[in-house]
Amino acid sequence: MINYLKSENYRLLHKKGLHITSVICLVLIAAAAAVLYYSGQQDQNFPYATSLFFYSNVIGSGILIIIVAFLFNLALTGKDTSLIKQSVSFGVSRNTIFWSKLILTLSYFLAICAVGLLLMIGLGENLLASEEQSVRYFLSASINMFPIVISGFFIIHVLKMLRFGEVYIIITLLFIFIFSGDLLRMLLRPISGLNELYKYAPSTLLNENLMSFLNKAVQFDYHYWVTGIVISVFSLLIGARKFAKQNIN
Amino acid sequence: MDTIIQTYQLKKTFKEEDIIKPLDFSLRKGEICALIGKNGAGKSTFFKMLAGQLMPTGGDIHLFGKSGKEMIHSKKRMGFMIETPEFFPDFTATQNLEYFRIQRGVIEKKRIYEVLQIVGLANQKKKRFKDYSMGMKQRLGIALCLLGSPDCLVLDEPINGLDAEGIIEIRNLLLRLNQEKQITILVSSHILTELQLLATRFVFIKNGVIVDDLSKENLNDKSKKQVQLKVDDAAKASRLLEQAYADIQYKVLPNHIITIQNHVEKGGEINRLLVDNGVLVMEFRMEALNLEEYFLGLVEGNEK
Repeated sequence: MINYLKSENYRLLHKKGLHITSVICLVLIAAAAAVLYYSGQQDQNFPYATSLFFYSNVIGSGILIIIVAFLFNLALTGKDTSLIKQSVSFGVSRNTIFWSKLILTLSYFLAICAVGLLLMIGLGENLLASEEQSVRYFLSASINMFPIVISGFFIIHVLKMLRFGEVYIIITLLFIFIFSGDLLRMLLRPISGLNELYKYAPSTLLNENLMSFLNKAVQFDYHYWVTGIVISVFSLLIGARKFAKQNIN
Repeated sequence: MDTIIQTYQLKKTFKEEDIIKPLDFSLRKGEICALIGKNGAGKSTFFKMLAGQLMPTGGDIHLFGKSGKEMIHSKKRMGFMIETPEFFPDFTATQNLEYFRIQRGVIEKKRIYEVLQIVGLANQKKKRFKDYSMGMKQRLGIALCLLGSPDCLVLDEPINGLDAEGIIEIRNLLLRLNQEKQITILVSSHILTELQLLATRFVFIKNGVIVDDLSKENLNDKSKKQVQLKVDDAAKASRLLEQAYADIQYKVLPNHIITIQNHVEKGGEINRLLVDNGVLVMEFRMEALNLEEYFLGLVEGNEK
């Protein structure tokens, strides 16, 4: 597994797309901060030149962060998967391939998330009007978001490894992370015992997290972790199992 | 360990269609075995199962005497090139081989340059893979197979896309690897004349079943002679032949040509039979079969 990880890391380091994506994400964060700062300087009554508003753009963009996760995962699960047949021929197990690609892409994604988070706090606290607790609110909301976003990353990885088309993956993500709450609420409303299930849907939780953040009432909530862990474990178990038996053609 | 590859009742089914019917096959150390069959005969499916790319529906595979999970270690002693080799298009030959060198745990970096030298790509090592010709891609595929200093090569269409010079080079390379480094080779190709020059054993596969398995000597014996006739009425000649010789094996080719595979020693008698019954024999030839013709006789044609 170590050799496979090293070889995939070699591949990632030589992949321009990944570095470009990372730079674009960081530049967009900086640009957003700059626009808010500039607008605040131009108009004293401009209400959005605050760190809270700046942070809320991230807390309210769960699906966008998951799309970025998709791009990071794609770095090793896109066209590169055509080389898997050679690795399998040379004795690399399917399990090694599945987990190694996940570990590497996830590591890079988490690294860029950490850098992005630090950049946001740095810019938000230094360029924009900041409230006393804004960083604490932002970090709490981010910690709540974390398991949901990571579960999205795992779903993307599983679907890519099982060779689902990119359009299907986007539709699945939209369904789970945007429409799942409303759908569960409508479908399960008449069923006693299940009619509260929508509260655990990723889309409901992401919305709640944003509202709590905007109301300055955000705090750590285990519901996010329950949902995130359930989705992650199920998707990874099913994905690894199916990939281990999959023909590579 | 004299047997490198052994399959027991190996089977593959796709959508209820048997692509490979229970198949027993063994490849012994030192052989260059040619697997011959039409498109769809099951050659690539068989190779892919050996490589682990396809899961067998039934049966068992042993590589260097190991099966199941232990087979992963045996694969380190093998080099597979199944269909078109895949590489990173934006990487150079050196970068692509470096990726696989790390992956395969080949310690010495200079091995990359050695294998590039062997396949004649040393001068092209800085060119990106996407700019390679088909022949160069095939050579890089072979270089990849050789990277881990294998004891056995499994090559599916290794000379596909090569020019005449390239074909001769790869043939000589494979012969050299077999003779000097005792590398066992299992190979398939649609260019049967090349296989005839290369292989020491010929396995014919049709509809997922091995229909013949011959050493080079056996093939030479079996394909020694056939009678070829050009007549004015092939249908009438066929009837006469069937009436005169109940076990006759022949096939009718285009342009009223009939080839007869047995009763070859009765060539004169056959000629008289046809002429006496009003069939005009315009050409009469006794000839040896090459691999291509033997193959066609075995799996194609209007055989009786």
